[in-house]
Amino acid sequence: MPNRILSTLISSVKMFYRSKSSVFWTIAFPVILILIFGAIFSGGNGGKYNIHIQDLSDSQMSHKFIEALNQSEVINVIDVGKDVNISEYIRENSPTAVLIIPSNFDSAFIPGATNNTTQLKLMIDPTSTSANVITSIVISVSDHFNLAIAQGGEIITLKRTDIASEQFNFIDFFLPGIIALTTMTTTIFWTVDIQSRYRENGIFKKLMTTPLTRMEWLATQILWQLVVVFISIATILVVGIALYDVELTLDPIAILIIISSSALFSSMGMILARFIKEPETAGTAANAITFPMMFLSGTFFPLETMPEYLRAVAQVLPLTYVSDGLRDAMVYNNIVGATNSLVVVVILAMIFFLIGVAVSRWKVE
Amino acid sequence: MLGPNGAGKTTTVEILECLRSMTSGEARVLGLDVMKKAREIKYKIGVLPQDFNAFDLLTVKENIQFFGSMYDRMLDPMDLIKVMDLQEKADEYFKNLSGGLKQRVGVAIAMVNDPEIIFLDEPTTGLDPKARREVWKVIEELKKKGKTVILTTHYMEEAEILSDRVGIIDRGRFLALGSPREIIDEHGSGSHCIIANADAKCLNVLKERWPDHEIRNGNFIIPLRDKDNLVEIIYALDGSGGNYEQIQVTRPTLEDVFLRLTGRKLAEGGDTENAE
Ligand SMILES: Nc1ncnc2c1ncn2[C@@H]1O[C@H](COP(=O)(O)OP(=O)(O)OP(=O)(O)O)[C@@H](O)[C@H]1O
Ligand SMILES: [Mg+2]
Repeated sequence: MPNRILSTLISSVKMFYRSKSSVFWTIAFPVILILIFGAIFSGGNGGKYNIHIQDLSDSQMSHKFIEALNQSEVINVIDVGKDVNISEYIRENSPTAVLIIPSNFDSAFIPGATNNTTQLKLMIDPTSTSANVITSIVISVSDHFNLAIAQGGEIITLKRTDIASEQFNFIDFFLPGIIALTTMTTTIFWTVDIQSRYRENGIFKKLMTTPLTRMEWLATQILWQLVVVFISIATILVVGIALYDVELTLDPIAILIIISSSALFSSMGMILARFIKEPETAGTAANAITFPMMFLSGTFFPLETMPEYLRAVAQVLPLTYVSDGLRDAMVYNNIVGATNSLVVVVILAMIFFLIGVAVSRWKVE
Repeated sequence: MLGPNGAGKTTTVEILECLRSMTSGEARVLGLDVMKKAREIKYKIGVLPQDFNAFDLLTVKENIQFFGSMYDRMLDPMDLIKVMDLQEKADEYFKNLSGGLKQRVGVAIAMVNDPEIIFLDEPTTGLDPKARREVWKVIEELKKKGKTVILTTHYMEEAEILSDRVGIIDRGRFLALGSPREIIDEHGSGSHCIIANADAKCLNVLKERWPDHEIRNGNFIIPLRDKDNLVEIIYALDGSGGNYEQIQVTRPTLEDVFLRLTGRKLAEGGDTENAE
């Protein structure tokens, strides 16, 4: 029996590298994903918020104020010239946030002139997700200045750091999601494709005439999927490390999560292929399953930003646990959380595998 | 197993190959019950399914090797390749082979476990006449090696040439079983003498002498009861002083048997044409 499994695996390897399209999809799909995420999160201003400032005061004090905003490390200041008509500017550039420093700004700081006040004008697009962040930063910097004028010593200072250790850059947080996603799409699409193609072209029938059993076949397919998945993940890590200084590595829990999730999704593919006969429809069905999971499992968007009912949906999607588990293991170093997710994934994998075995037929119908 | 499209040939052999469950009845292969001993049977048989396919991106040799590795012991793939006369194609991808070559690879794979019985389900359907003859040669080789071959076909000629025993099947039932000779003797209508384009003088004599005649398309047909008949006919024609174009003796075929048994033709389009 190990002989049969081994020889099926060897044949799969041969067919894999001889098929340009399967090599392409196994390697290209994850590369495309990571390039997109890399471009979004590590290019440009590195995840800072843009604020457009028109400095009408152009004084020592206003320069200090802008300097302070810059030092917050989250704000990227874009200078709007003094003579620019601001409403025209807004119409042309659609900025999220515009701050106007009035011309009397510095006079407010002349010692003794206690009655002088000055008003900063912050115009902000309320629909933007960054509106709150920008507002609060501007307020906190202004408060800081107010305190300074009132001769009050600085009591509270703020330094922003990211959750999880500082050595990670932004793309590191998305990498576990990309890995989870790749595991899911690779295994489901491969399995559905192979199962429905072999049934259609009669290879299944030929296999059934040999002593190969249904269990052996399913097990081999899952093992092979695992190989493909690790090829994809290795590609992701290599590209990530080479291009974006990704610092993540696969620890044992992450590896276990990947193994059990690829068994889980392979089994799902088996079940899908069992009920959908034509290879063309099978691909569509695979899309129909993977697509919602892609978006509702916290892979791209954090679950916290979703409405309550969508979060409830996410709770029953297997990919949620894979993404969560991998993030806990690889980024947050949260062993307990990762283990919990691992247990869920292992149980789901066993359930789906058994269903897969139960519904698959090793007979002509 | 000879029968027209949809007769139930594939259904029957697939039950014997343990690929399909039967709705009723009992079937044994080499004395083993197909319902209870499927695994044991699979080790002992070799199968070429209808519409056989192997892995496109494996070579001929690798495909034979792969299917061989499913069994506990296997014949040397290179030996099989030689037997099937596939040496030149041994390292060719399966997808690049012609239909006839693919069928030959299929037969090679069916032999890879040195089975006691080989099932070949319509191995020549869809092949051109040349490729069909190549496959026939292979099947004769199997016979010479003492293998039991169970072959299904809807080509009368194929059944008659290749088989020691023929079962004629139609609508899920065997209508006749035996050697082609036996079946023809039992169900056939005997030999006939056909006289083509005889003139009136001939016809007058013949009609009187053989009242059980038949006239079809200008052919005068006389059933031959025994060998002397033919001599009598020739004498009679000679004595009539008339003219005729041709005289011919036909033996009945399995096709005739099928026509007699079912009232239908076996395969439209004759034997060398593709019946699809
Ligand atoms: N003994 C039987 N009783 C009832 N139905 C049968 C029986 N044998 C076959 N059938 C049915 O007849 C149909 C055709 O059978 P099958 O495919 O075996 O024909 P075939 O002889 O192999 O035809 P072809 O030459 O086209 O391959 C199938 O739907 C099958 O279920
Ligand atoms: Mg058939």
